[in-house]
Amino acid sequence: MNNGLKERLEEAFPHATVTATTETEYITAAGKESVLSILAYLKDTGFDHLALVSCVDWIDEKEFEIVYVLSPYMKDNTTLSGEEKTNVIVKARIPRDNPAFQTVTHIFENAEPYERELHELFGIHFVGHKRLIPLFLERAYEVPPFRKDFDTRQYVKDVFDNIPTIEGSKK
Amino acid sequence: MDRNQLGKWLKQPAKMANKYSLNAVYFCTGCGIIEIPPVITARWDAERFGVIPVATPRQGNLFMITGYVSLKTLRAIIRTYEQMPDPKYTVGFGSCPINGGMYWDSYNTIKHLDKYIPVDGWIAGCMPRPEAVFIAVTHLWTLIDKDMANGYVRYREQYAQYRKNQETLFGKLDWPPLYATGGKAQKGQQ
Repeated sequence: MNNGLKERLEEAFPHATVTATTETEYITAAGKESVLSILAYLKDTGFDHLALVSCVDWIDEKEFEIVYVLSPYMKDNTTLSGEEKTNVIVKARIPRDNPAFQTVTHIFENAEPYERELHELFGIHFVGHKRLIPLFLERAYEVPPFRKDFDTRQYVKDVFDNIPTIEGSKK
Repeated sequence: MDRNQLGKWLKQPAKMANKYSLNAVYFCTGCGIIEIPPVITARWDAERFGVIPVATPRQGNLFMITGYVSLKTLRAIIRTYEQMPDPKYTVGFGSCPINGGMYWDSYNTIKHLDKYIPVDGWIAGCMPRPEAVFIAVTHLWTLIDKDMANGYVRYREQYAQYRKNQETLFGKLDWPPLYATGGKAQKGQQ
């Protein structure tokens, strides 16, 4: 039965490559155009829980890889058999210069804070996101701090080490 | 009761009262806060030392920074510290407030807490055991006796420097200065 989902995915999306890493996990690498339809398809299939949206910085290949982790809620799920209740990881690559991607908030509403996080930490612009404002950070960074070319040590030297100690505090 | 201490107590009763009723602000930051529940509950029972947690900074006079301090936490720490009434004592708990600890090259964690608020004592370790809290408390008693736990005095005297350091990180702070920061006004007062 486990092959059922893989074959169905391959049949519906011939351009996507589906790999089974373990028995309970699939990786679907897709072009950036088909990500929305894959996510919508998976949501209809029963993978209605978007557990995580993350990003990988492939600096040598000059690409960002956006990662969506989906899993079904076990309860009240009739479309999937027990063995098919797995995790599905959907990956898509976008170019690293002026990175922009379409939002998935209209499919999964809970993607909103994740996309804000990626916008803040990787500098990816999500087209169609309604509230793309800072989430965690207090300071403005020239290079978004989770990119590989962000030099944390230099940043620490420039910012934190340049703050003087309070004179006379060693009294 | 130690009768030898009696003369000292009668000389400065307020100091004795401060010493044996350290009310710790319930402020959680970082991973060190996991050591505080055993400290205040039956296993180690901090009330033997007069340390009890209180709910609001207005009631507290002991402030333990229990772990790494991110920028957002630092903002809350400064606000909490400024709300506490004098005399107030700050203790940095764990290695992260001392010099950043394992977050020494992090982009969003401050490295030296004493650049932003005055700290009276440090507890080193990652993590310190609950016993270390009591060593720190008894040490703090000695410091209070000798007038060396004077962080709140230093904060008042060097407020301009502290405020400047805080504003270097945050830009303009959205609350007014606690004390006068103008250089000329301070000279006039002296």
